[in-house]
Amino acid sequence: MTGRADPAETFAYVDNCLDPEARSAFEARLQAEPELRREAARWEAQNRAIRAAFGAPPRGALDLGGASNENGVRRFGEATRAADGAARPFGQAQKRRVSPPVAEPRSAGLGATARRLAGAVALAAAVLWVGLPSLGPRPPAALLAAGAAAARALADLPVEFVAGDPAALAQRLGPRLALAPLTAPSLRLIGARLAPGSQATATLYLYENSRGERVALMVEPLDEIGRAPARRGATNGLSFAAWTGAGYGFVAAAREDADVAALVAAAGADDEFLANAGAQRR
Amino acid sequence: MSSAREWSDDAGALRRFGLALVRDDRFVFDDAAGCALIDKLFRQASLTLVERRGVDRRAARVRAFGQFIRLYRRHARRLAVDEDGGWIETPPSNRGGGSAAVGVRGLPIELRETLLLVVLAGFTHREAAEALDLPLTVVVDRLARARTRLAAHMAAARDATAAWPQSSHLRIVK
Repeated sequence: MTGRADPAETFAYVDNCLDPEARSAFEARLQAEPELRREAARWEAQNRAIRAAFGAPPRGALDLGGASNENGVRRFGEATRAADGAARPFGQAQKRRVSPPVAEPRSAGLGATARRLAGAVALAAAVLWVGLPSLGPRPPAALLAAGAAAARALADLPVEFVAGDPAALAQRLGPRLALAPLTAPSLRLIGARLAPGSQATATLYLYENSRGERVALMVEPLDEIGRAPARRGATNGLSFAAWTGAGYGFVAAAREDADVAALVAAAGADDEFLANAGAQRR
Repeated sequence: MSSAREWSDDAGALRRFGLALVRDDRFVFDDAAGCALIDKLFRQASLTLVERRGVDRRAARVRAFGQFIRLYRRHARRLAVDEDGGWIETPPSNRGGGSAAVGVRGLPIELRETLLLVVLAGFTHREAAEALDLPLTVVVDRLARARTRLAAHMAAARDATAAWPQSSHLRIVK
């Protein structure tokens, strides 16, 4: 079937209102009809522009480029699933799974216990040689992803709440988000806007450095989260640091690493900051 | 806890939708007035979310957004001087914020609320029809009109931007 599509159907497609069958049928039509594809792309681009103009998060997953462990674990899981599910030549995977266990030939030298013991010793030696990985508390990867997405999409837009006074700004945001933002000597507080956090609505405090560049600090109320020290990362030209404490998750983002460091230092230097945050939360 | 998070997400989405809807350059010109109006309407509409918390998220969402729109319409109607009772076209905006934002602000309210409900708040067409208390066909028709107008506005803004350096550059006088 060719020709001009029903606009209602195209809108239903770009607004994600079609059921799976209708969606796949429409996508098949998109493959066959370039004009329809162009039209759908045009409306999708308009949707993206509207969402960006009013500070809504862009649709689609964020790739952090291995900025966190959890991301790595997720990717490993995906890679494993893909490898297991993928069609292999000559059905090797299936053969391996369904083949009956082969009786191992008894080794003449070491017994099973001795082999396990040797393995454990080798593993311990390897760990000591390489160095223990950081096993302390870490801020959740989703928090870092949400902070990065918010900073990338919203930091350059006009602020929703204009205030240079941290306390007044916190009061303006209502009880759940009322946490006075950090103050760093090299950064000037401009205001704040609401942003989608990893699990709930967050506040994106926006600062300006001496060169007039925006620096963002996302503060998200997170229930039942322990204290985790700042974790740094960088992707797509932005530097990030994420840390948690007192029931909040924090993500600082800026183009310059020094600006992120200034916010992290402000959080670390101000010993009473997290204690006050906890008190405000209660 | 998850219901608390959902409620918080919905409240954030409602606030964002409200901010986009209310700043129309007709009744609300500056950010302070916009925030004051939003706070008032948001408090009233979010009560619906609180009351129905944990019952049915979708129904509560539709109801809260619908309530917000009705409150805003009532507010705008009080201020409107139009004798016929119809909505007046919003005058062209001279505020910044990008061509999409300006274009959406320039749409008549019935087109703007439908477009923002679907695109910004992520409602399906059916949910939007439910929130606006309109038939589905009317919602689709409004979406089509809003999108066509916005596309024309954005194209004009692009053309104006492209033409600007040639038309208004300063002549160098030696």
